[in-house]
Amino acid sequence: MDLDKLRETAAEVAARDDVKYLIGWEKGSYGYRVAPAFAEDADGTADMIFSPLCTANLATYLTLVEKLPLPRGQEPDNRKVALMVKGCDSRAVAQLLVEKGIHRDEVVVIGCPCPGMVDPALLSEKYPETEEIAELKWSDDGFIIVRNGEETAVPREELLAEKCRLCRYPNPVVSDIMLDEPVESWEPAEDEEVTEIEGKEVEGRWDYWQQEFSNCIRCYSCRNVCPLCYCQDCILDRINPSWVFRSVNFSENTAFNIARAFHLAGRCIECGECERVCPANIPLGKINRKLAREVRDKYGFEPGLDPESEPFQASYKPDDPEDFIL
Amino acid sequence: MSAMLLNKEKWPDFVEKLAGKTIWAPQGEEAEMRFAPVTEGEAPALEYGNTRVPPKQAVFPQTETMFRFQLGGEELEIPKLEEEAVLLGVRPCDARSMAIVDNLFSWDENDPYYFKHRELLTLVGLTCTEPGLNCFCTSVGGGPASKEGLDLLMTDLGDQYLLEAITEKGEALLKAAGEVLEDAGDEQIKEKERLTEEAAANIKRNVNPDGIPEGLPGLWEDPLWQRVSASCLGCGTCTYLCPTCHCFDIQDEVEGFSARRCRTWDSCMFNEYTMHTSGHNPRPSRRERTRNRINHKYSYYVDKFDVIACVGCGRCINLCPVNIDIVDILRQVKEAL
Amino acid sequence: MKTNENPYIPYYATVEDTWFETGGERAIKTFKVVFDDEEVRKNWNHRPGQCAMIGILGVGESMISISCSPTEGDFLRFSVMRMGKVTQALHQLEAGDKMTVRGPYGNSFPLEEWEGKHVITIGGGIGQAPMRPVVEYVKANYQKYDGLTMIYGARTSGDLCFKGEFEAMAQNEDLSCHLTIDIEEEQWDHNVGFVPQVLLDVKPSPDNTIAVTCGPPIMIRFVLENLKKLGFEDDQIYTTLENRMKCGIGKCGRCNAGNMYVCKDGPVFNYAALKEIPEAFS
Repeated sequence: MDLDKLRETAAEVAARDDVKYLIGWEKGSYGYRVAPAFAEDADGTADMIFSPLCTANLATYLTLVEKLPLPRGQEPDNRKVALMVKGCDSRAVAQLLVEKGIHRDEVVVIGCPCPGMVDPALLSEKYPETEEIAELKWSDDGFIIVRNGEETAVPREELLAEKCRLCRYPNPVVSDIMLDEPVESWEPAEDEEVTEIEGKEVEGRWDYWQQEFSNCIRCYSCRNVCPLCYCQDCILDRINPSWVFRSVNFSENTAFNIARAFHLAGRCIECGECERVCPANIPLGKINRKLAREVRDKYGFEPGLDPESEPFQASYKPDDPEDFIL
Repeated sequence: MSAMLLNKEKWPDFVEKLAGKTIWAPQGEEAEMRFAPVTEGEAPALEYGNTRVPPKQAVFPQTETMFRFQLGGEELEIPKLEEEAVLLGVRPCDARSMAIVDNLFSWDENDPYYFKHRELLTLVGLTCTEPGLNCFCTSVGGGPASKEGLDLLMTDLGDQYLLEAITEKGEALLKAAGEVLEDAGDEQIKEKERLTEEAAANIKRNVNPDGIPEGLPGLWEDPLWQRVSASCLGCGTCTYLCPTCHCFDIQDEVEGFSARRCRTWDSCMFNEYTMHTSGHNPRPSRRERTRNRINHKYSYYVDKFDVIACVGCGRCINLCPVNIDIVDILRQVKEAL
Repeated sequence: MKTNENPYIPYYATVEDTWFETGGERAIKTFKVVFDDEEVRKNWNHRPGQCAMIGILGVGESMISISCSPTEGDFLRFSVMRMGKVTQALHQLEAGDKMTVRGPYGNSFPLEEWEGKHVITIGGGIGQAPMRPVVEYVKANYQKYDGLTMIYGARTSGDLCFKGEFEAMAQNEDLSCHLTIDIEEEQWDHNVGFVPQVLLDVKPSPDNTIAVTCGPPIMIRFVLENLKKLGFEDDQIYTTLENRMKCGIGKCGRCNAGNMYVCKDGPVFNYAALKEIPEAFS
């Protein structure tokens, strides 16, 4: 990725009169961290990057921003929000368009063809993070870690994030501007993690998730980071009536996690952000990918590919399978 | 107060002497490590950096039953807390957090649940010899071997642990361990001091909080709050994992005719935290909520209790999904002052 | 007073009488309650301005102003607007039913300090609830004060609380009682207009006077402006704040406005102090 071109394009977009701000990525405050960055003008884009560390799905900010009551006499700022997207992120944008969570004329989508992200946990485990800001680059067959001027080449397979191994859409499916030529898609790996759990007996699956969900601290970072969890009034926050108690135990935690997974069935675009942000290390990707697999296998449907399509749950075909009807 | 030595070979014997008390120790794989009551018989290993979830749950459980009752009944059953516990290998920053939070929970009247847990708990600390990447305890009044809040401090000297009693509770533990221990000498104390100094020198992150508590209110409308909160997801990671964050919700939970009133951790980063029933929210966006989090720790708490409500454990920095970094925010605050 | 060792454990109280002050979706219902335990009843000692956590087991608790003065007798009064889960459940209560009460919480109006002064209360809507104990207290200790002026308004006459009491007050020559509604109505022979405007019309002298105000935020804003116009100094003005609360005793952390905990440092604030708290009027 040519960073000069990225910054030049970002600066042009951020300077547009019809653009409120542009969301991209910047180097973080230390180590391998990368932070989402908000640029209101061309100057704000000077340090933007796109690298194998840019895991954050910026599409979540499209719906996260609060709609505050305006002081009397003040007109709402209806200018567009521009954002950079990887393949998976663009699917979130497409799905939001399908659901009319956002409208096409509200966004400027800058596509970043993505050769694959590193798994930040794996990276820190193998190449311990230090306070020095490190950079990562793509090479022909992997990644290059740049720290204190020293370069370390690492084979792709060693650090590639799980979600990227499984990725079928590395190139943005929606964009107004593309920053680079499309990358060549790779053969997605078999989702062995999901297959492994499917292979377990009911008790085994129950035990597995009991263990995992018991660790949940209900910080809701999975919900908040999710670009498709954007209900203004979330069932989890409701207290009148309380659908899910706030007390933290296996039962309530499971109710929360299952409710979230169900609400994402046929909607999750597998960006893996929920799993990345979970401070309790719960493999949330597995549960969402399982539901995505069900929808894909049974209905031949994949969300977030065509902004013009109908939402999965709102579409019916006479030949839909009915196996689930008892 | 006495200082003793424990040969590491006798570690299981020492742990055995704690019998009768629930032992909380760091457990689980590194990424999921947290303090939990030890269930299996083995003596817990203490080679670890710090737990992701702070040990505050030993005195301030994420879910605490305040009382139980039957719907329509008048009898309130208050859970009896009477089991003694030991927090084994707690890091000095986390122990210090309890000393800090004590101020709030004893403000004018004692919180009975918190102080009952506190009274039943003995804190056995472990000197930090290898500070973590985002540790900055020395900036906020702590240190790798800070004794504040601890009853006993252990220092890993290689083949043995140095055990220094700090309170009567700690002294009692040493006494109970009896023949498992040997007397420590000046040499070991000096070695500990050397290790502590070395560890302190290895702390990379720092901020000088001078001027921040008095200066923060003046920065109320500063653009920095919009800047540092723009990427905030509004999740509870920073507050739930903060050892000094102590806010809670109280809810009645009813199942059938059985009910309980319980309190659970809550987070000022959540939208509904301050939301009035009318829908009006005095802190309507992540900007105000982030500003409150920093002000509460570095200004309001100092006004009330004369101590910063941050121990520099670095958890909020380590685990923020979007790299919101409190040291970086404080640096920006200093620049804006 | 006798307190539970555990401040989170409520006392039981029985509703002795209850009536609706106003109607509609957000109706206001007043409860006159008496503690079941005689000792609690005897030892309970609140001051005007304080609040209590009232609730129903299995539903929850809400922080509500105590809307009676201790000079009125060994009972408590709460005027509750039907808003959320707890207040909806409270509205179901009738005479003879039980609620839970713990408190009293917060500071209070410094009525002893105000002795010898004229007191003016300026209330709007449900904001009259914390004003009422001030009015009642000053009435009960009238010889200690240099008079009382009450200004109280609501959107319509149907939205005024404590209506039954006003007739007697209007006839009391020691009191200057001004009622107002926003819009003209038939058979309404008091003021018409917003509370801040009525304040200007009444034109109280700031000399040796304390002004207390409580009501919707927009009303408070203009009342403060107009008090300044009339020559009131900041430290002559008191108001009350409300925020979401859970514990009532300064532990749960959610009611802070800046460095002040509304449940302990408030709910009563002197305006001179309050205006230094940036979050106070958020």
